[in-house]
Amino acid sequence: MRKIFGTILLGITLVLVYVLDHPIGTRFPALGRLLDPVNGCWANAENVNYDFNWENKFPTLHHEVEVWLDDHLVPHIKASDDHDLYFIQGYFTASFRLWQMDMQTRAAAGRLAEVVGRGEGDKILNFDRKQRRKGMVYAAERSLEKMESDPATRLMMDAYTEGVNAYVAKLKKRDLPLEYKLMGFAPEKWTNLRISLLLKYMADDLTGYTEDIPLTFLRDLLLPEQFELLFPGKIPASNTVIPSGTEFSPATLNQAQAPAGSLFPHFFTGKNGGGKPTAVNNEPSARDEASGIGSNNWALSGSRTKSGAAILCNDPHLTLNLPSLWFEAQLQAPGINVFGATLPGAPGVVIGFNDSVSWGFTNNYRDVKDFYEISEADAGHYLLNGRPLAYENRVEVIGVKGEADVTDTVHYTVHGPVMYDKHFVEPDGFTRPLAVRWKAHDPSNELKAFYLLNRARNYLGFTEALGFYECPAQNMLYADRRGHIALWGQGSFVNKWKDQGRYIMNGSDSATLWHELIPMTENPHASDPEQGYLASANQCVTDSTYPYWYNGYFYEFRAWRINQVLQGLSKATVEDMFALQNDNYSWLAGHVLPVILKRLSPDVVRSKWAVDLAAWDCRLEPNSKNATFFQTWWYGLYHGLWDDRFKNVPDKLLPLPEVTMDLLKNGFRGVIPENDVDKLISSSFVKAQDSLAKLDKSGQAEWYLAKNTTVAHLLKLPAFGYDKIKAGGWGNTVNALNGNHGPSWRMVVEMGKEINAWGIYPGGQSGNPGSKYYASFLGNWANGKYHRLVLFPAGSPPAPNQYKYTITVFP
Amino acid sequence: MRTTISIILIAFLSSIAEFFLPWWSIMPVAFGVAWTLRLRGGAAFFAGVAGIAIFWIPNMIFKDFANEHILSSRMAVLFFKAPNYALFIAVCASVGCLIGGLSAWSGSLLRRGD
Repeated sequence: MRKIFGTILLGITLVLVYVLDHPIGTRFPALGRLLDPVNGCWANAENVNYDFNWENKFPTLHHEVEVWLDDHLVPHIKASDDHDLYFIQGYFTASFRLWQMDMQTRAAAGRLAEVVGRGEGDKILNFDRKQRRKGMVYAAERSLEKMESDPATRLMMDAYTEGVNAYVAKLKKRDLPLEYKLMGFAPEKWTNLRISLLLKYMADDLTGYTEDIPLTFLRDLLLPEQFELLFPGKIPASNTVIPSGTEFSPATLNQAQAPAGSLFPHFFTGKNGGGKPTAVNNEPSARDEASGIGSNNWALSGSRTKSGAAILCNDPHLTLNLPSLWFEAQLQAPGINVFGATLPGAPGVVIGFNDSVSWGFTNNYRDVKDFYEISEADAGHYLLNGRPLAYENRVEVIGVKGEADVTDTVHYTVHGPVMYDKHFVEPDGFTRPLAVRWKAHDPSNELKAFYLLNRARNYLGFTEALGFYECPAQNMLYADRRGHIALWGQGSFVNKWKDQGRYIMNGSDSATLWHELIPMTENPHASDPEQGYLASANQCVTDSTYPYWYNGYFYEFRAWRINQVLQGLSKATVEDMFALQNDNYSWLAGHVLPVILKRLSPDVVRSKWAVDLAAWDCRLEPNSKNATFFQTWWYGLYHGLWDDRFKNVPDKLLPLPEVTMDLLKNGFRGVIPENDVDKLISSSFVKAQDSLAKLDKSGQAEWYLAKNTTVAHLLKLPAFGYDKIKAGGWGNTVNALNGNHGPSWRMVVEMGKEINAWGIYPGGQSGNPGSKYYASFLGNWANGKYHRLVLFPAGSPPAPNQYKYTITVFP
Repeated sequence: MRTTISIILIAFLSSIAEFFLPWWSIMPVAFGVAWTLRLRGGAAFFAGVAGIAIFWIPNMIFKDFANEHILSSRMAVLFFKAPNYALFIAVCASVGCLIGGLSAWSGSLLRRGD
């Protein structure tokens, strides 16, 4: 009897152990493994007084390497050659950020379903397919080949990869980052391809946005003059990146001329057998969501600063996540001594300064990604100039956790990969095949640009580095210790004829192909301008005197504000720069409020909110309720003006707020009767009153609560992220902090005799949610505070009070 | 006395086993100790629970204090939507104790069934 009972009990125990040792479905981890104090999550509970001092041996190192960790856990690496330097950078970055490096490059490569399953409604699988179909892996492979053919970048990548793998190899199962334990997978060996994938991931983030599809529809929907009024492409009043009046060197190429022929398909007219899209998505427009993705940078020459030294400032606005996109480090070896923000997963410093020069980036936003409608001939062919051409097929095998692999054959044409077709339908239900031609598909070696930037000693070195920088196009800002400043709208651009690539192009006519490239030395640039400063904030790049045609996706509000503030500064200090980076003044509110308050109907014009707003300083400060009211009112008004008019257009593109503001001020010129506008101004005001009354009742009316800025963990686990961050601003203020985007790295560098550098990012050096360094910068970042960025001098060791831990690695 | 020895043995041997083997190594340890020392049913279950408890709970509490509850609070939010780290420790402990108790009990039943 006992034996039977004992056997049953043993059976139950074994089943229980089995269940606890296996994940449940694709969502729940193996609980036994996770909760175990020895090998489970408890191994990731890092002692708050953990001693980071250690010594180790890596036989592949050439010489001894010294690393000092300061009290923020920033590694200052001192090596004797490039190999050892990048090896240790790889090793250290991996030791703090391995899981993140793995996930971001998996996302780039379309390999997420492999570790998380196909997702609800195939969400994850479709994400992976989209990555493959837009040519991410294809692009990364092509650039990898180019990067590996250059000895300097080959060495850089090989050493970094070796360093990451040295860390992975010594990692015990219990020391795996917590997320691996939650998700139930383990890191693979790092490869150079992963580095290339990460760079393409950034290229996608920064140049992936396009308006080709909606603009194609809008152009047919609207009268030409209305289209021009509502979607001007470039705002005439722009305070351009390259100051108006800068003389451009004469073009060596002739501006391309639009060829004859049917260059663009038309979908509303039915000319090409087309029609309206079958489904229109009612999500907020991409542009709306994206508003504020971008960045600010500006530099003042010595004539405008108190110290007489040049000051350079940069704050790239990206999706705010934990672990943070950035990792601070100093790299020191013969020929290089640089400090700045690195991208975990790529060698070198991306944004920073060395002992001679400093640099920073904003997104340039010139359009480098175009869609082509493909005429299918038969299953294996498409038409070009009437002749059938065979597709080149690339078979993408996508792993799916717990299931058989999914195979997707992607057709490559002269216009790039067919991204959307009947097998993978455009999200708005646009069913015809669209190929995508994208600058990121072309082989390029941006790593070489970073390699040279990190070592640049002067403007010549800076421009030499820029020569390698092709995609994603950036406004690259420069300041040096001799007081020079410069700004380049840098990237590789096609000499396009007017409107080429602004709309979906006819892929069956070879006249629409991309042709020659504009020589990179003829990219727009300015140095040491008379105005004493240079500034970019994703606004239009040049005035109309630039000899080549281009289009892009430009924003103006932040640039207007930055120019206004900088023009008023004659003895600027780093504190003034901190204030400007954290400036919450809304240019939109400042310029549109006087107009719309005046147009309110008599029954609300004297209401409490109207009186309060009239006296408001137009700053979107965290505690302001006026800010919440204005934003709610504006949202209602803006969408009230445009939503219904454009509801049949796929990808829902609305006129820019910049354009809308201008129309409200100067009249709608027949697009909307002014009477209707007046009514809408008052009705949206009344709706905003109701919303605010509700928010007030629930205690959520303060701006920071209403907008809810969130810094989420990459897995969107609320337990590992932060929400309701107490900070002001919005996408259109200089402090461009909206729901989940914002200043991902703030840097101010005064290039004086002593370099006076400050920086901060919303996260912490450690990627481990169980470490006190996981989000240690977040509070100061939200409050607009900075920490010092200290470049240890080459030659002599740092003072003992400059660091907390020492790590020595022997060969 | 035999129970006390068993508790100490289970705690000691499973902490060694877990250093080299996965978490489930607590199961053969508790089973084997109860089998070898011919524990009676109730005593075996108790020894299994207590043995794992005195190994796991101090281990967690030690790590948790050194970590100032950072990880345990986050895990508690993940599991219970509230930063109750003590509850999280209790849940972890009960999983180990349950497996320890059941293993030891089945070990004793099978041995004493002879």
